[in-house]
Amino acid sequence: MSANPPLAGLVDHLFRHAAGEMVAVLARLLGPARLDLAEEAVQDALLRALQTWPFAGVPDNPRGWLFQVARNRALDHLRHETMSREALQWPAGIVDLAQRGAGSFGDEALAMMFMCCDPALGHAAHIALTLKLVSGFSVEEIADASLERAPAVAQRLVRAKREIRERRLALEIPLPRELAARLESVLEVMYLLFNEGYAAHGGESLVRADLCDEAIRLARLLAGNPQTDRPAVEALLALMLLQRSRLPARVDALGDLTLLADQDRSRWDRGLVEAGLRHLERAAVGTEISPYHIEAAIAAHHATARDAASTDWPTIRRLYDDLVAQKPSPVVALNRAVAVAMAEGPEVGIRALERIGDDPALAQYHLLPAVRAGLERRAGRRPEALRHYHAALALRCSAPERRFLERQIAEIEDELSRAAPQ
Amino acid sequence: MAQFLVLARDAGDPRREMSRMSPEELQRIMGKYMAWTTRLRDTGHLQNSNKLRDGEGRVLRRAGGKVTVTDGPFVESKEVLGGYWLIEAADYAAALALLQDHPHIELWPNASLELRQIHDFTQR
Repeated sequence: MSANPPLAGLVDHLFRHAAGEMVAVLARLLGPARLDLAEEAVQDALLRALQTWPFAGVPDNPRGWLFQVARNRALDHLRHETMSREALQWPAGIVDLAQRGAGSFGDEALAMMFMCCDPALGHAAHIALTLKLVSGFSVEEIADASLERAPAVAQRLVRAKREIRERRLALEIPLPRELAARLESVLEVMYLLFNEGYAAHGGESLVRADLCDEAIRLARLLAGNPQTDRPAVEALLALMLLQRSRLPARVDALGDLTLLADQDRSRWDRGLVEAGLRHLERAAVGTEISPYHIEAAIAAHHATARDAASTDWPTIRRLYDDLVAQKPSPVVALNRAVAVAMAEGPEVGIRALERIGDDPALAQYHLLPAVRAGLERRAGRRPEALRHYHAALALRCSAPERRFLERQIAEIEDELSRAAPQ
Repeated sequence: MAQFLVLARDAGDPRREMSRMSPEELQRIMGKYMAWTTRLRDTGHLQNSNKLRDGEGRVLRRAGGKVTVTDGPFVESKEVLGGYWLIEAADYAAALALLQDHPHIELWPNASLELRQIHDFTQR
């Protein structure tokens, strides 16, 4: 052992990302029926690192070290099985695994992503499986990210893995003719993950940048592989990068929410804006226009506006019209109403809101009354604004959002008491 | 300066606890260990450190002219010796001060550190 073990710091999230890659690679070699063995071997490798590196130092190639140990653990298991049960052929390829360099496991990770999002599995299983197997999240971390209780997540994973075994799902990147359809559910999972990070529901923090970054990492994997780099992938990646660029300005020093119009635009991450615009350009090849294209175009308008006042709201409003036509969801309709109000004034916006107000999908959505309250306030009807802000407060939202709503209420009450004759 | 051997002992089975942890949590723990060793190295207190192989070891005895070898564990059966650090400090008090925030005892409820000064016969 060396007297001077290297003490190089570890790359952020190395364990998490390497875990995803290792599980994907081992599952590909061992077959998807042995997912559990792959996961166990990877967990063993991480534990071994934790028991060794504090004494021996971080190895020069930590990722390669982990791969080697995980591979050996998997081989040990197989050897054990071979002796005790039927003779089993060692999967070809497992032996030279450790020779492959970092970043050469993209195909396996993508294949895993597609398997996790197989249409045969339920929608909720897509997210849980992707976070577990591709992103290296624990059951508790998945529960945190998906607003579920940990036992429910654990159960969902067990059931989904059984489905994978019984249905013999393939661990492959889909063929070109199936790709577009299969991509849809993969992109959906990424965008859900991103949105959960961008506007964390409930809980103490308003944003979880780590979830946004993980969604972006996964999209980059797809965009980085010629087999899966489709315009919709580029569009979603562009959209997420553009949104992510605003995160530093979205939350103030106290962890409170700052609305788009009030954000300090010098705090937007220009590098991410530029990367987003580049990917948006790459998304423009061909004739396909996915909802992600439209949303990315909207985000690009915001990202490139010099200040809030010079935002091109009429164009954004037209883009929302297109988006509602393509993806008629109540939340999209709500966002469109905001654009309408910005382009044509609060009264027109309120009429647009009224048309979606009784959608049951929005009944528990705090942003519906919150947006309404903001428009009533702009229209000069303070008591109405108060009523809607209170309605928003009664629904579930994160602590910073709650503080934001309470601040609005305090401001309006202050205005009212000043306006009232003494 | 005196030399001290810091032995890291695990009582119970931290592995079981760790096996439920996520990669992210494990990396965070790793970071704590690395931060401690880095600080000791940077301040010139750390001389060497090594992991001992788990679950093995031999105990030798000689009785009646015959050497018998038995497999370790050489400590109480539930205790595992994980590894050691060799550190330098002025005296026991200074060495103890360096160990106050050691992650090993911060992280694992039943783990312990054993501190032994190496006898230096060149000093009185």
